[in-house]
Amino acid sequence: MSTTIHKLFLIILLLAIPSVLRAQDLKLPPDVEKLSAKAKETVEVNMDGPMLHWASKFLSSEDPEEKKAAKLVENLKGIYVRSYEFADEGAYSSADVESLRSQFHSPTWSRVVGVRSEHDGENVDIFFRLENDKMAGIVIISAEPKELTFVNIVGPLEIDQLSDIGGEFGIPRVKTKPLSSKSMAKADKGEQK
Amino acid sequence: MTSMNPNPNRLEDVLKQALRREEAPDNFAARVLTQAAQNSRARETRRESWLGVFSQPLVRWAAFAAVSICLIAEGVHYRNQQRERAQGEAAKQQLMLALRIAGSKLHLAKEKVNEINTSRPESQPESRTPRSQS
Repeated sequence: MSTTIHKLFLIILLLAIPSVLRAQDLKLPPDVEKLSAKAKETVEVNMDGPMLHWASKFLSSEDPEEKKAAKLVENLKGIYVRSYEFADEGAYSSADVESLRSQFHSPTWSRVVGVRSEHDGENVDIFFRLENDKMAGIVIISAEPKELTFVNIVGPLEIDQLSDIGGEFGIPRVKTKPLSSKSMAKADKGEQK
Repeated sequence: MTSMNPNPNRLEDVLKQALRREEAPDNFAARVLTQAAQNSRARETRRESWLGVFSQPLVRWAAFAAVSICLIAEGVHYRNQQRERAQGEAAKQQLMLALRIAGSKLHLAKEKVNEINTSRPESQPESRTPRSQS
């Protein structure tokens, strides 16, 4: 009996290893690509390590935003973005988004923020990948009624620096408090509602 | 004063003697012209011997080909540099776009969390611990 359990456990373990490895090397879920056929506008950015470092050579050290960007990307291994804008609402289903999210339900990924807004339908999930208690990657899934965005940044990065860059590109900076565990809990409550 | 120079006309005589006009030797002009002609011929010979390399058609074509290759190589190099720069600028724009999208979505998340934070009274008891991961 005990050997049967051991064998079963071993089989499960062996089956689980590839999925864990896949999650660690994950770049872009294949499900995301399917949505491009329905999109009115699509933004696709694929930058692996060498491409990223090559592109960063062209960042100006005199431009403050580009200087920050250069510092941000110097240790990154890749940036992958898919952003789809649809003509009408309902172009993608919640199952599509859920299939995206489900790919990050693994021990290597931690869901740190999950916002669900019923009144404007804007939902955002942020997953961190931690390695030896250090940030090794971030995935952002933003689902809005007419827009779906998937961002995967591979490698160590400073969230505040990234947030700084986002706030300096014509997007009005929102005065926010740092994300505390309390506010995250509240956000989660909103999601549960 | 005059006792120091008993014969003042002597100096004048010496100067006259030294500066007197003398006729050039008979063949002086001929010798100068001959020497000048020899020098000129020597210079021309040296120039001809250097340019003489290009008198052969093969050498002329080789030189033309070498210059052409240099010009083409320089042109290709310049064009490659321009192309690489354009590609780099495009890659930089892509990178900045990706960072801008990521940053804006982070902002959106922060904004939403902040909205929820402010829309609920702080006095509401916290029944749950922060959600962590799946």
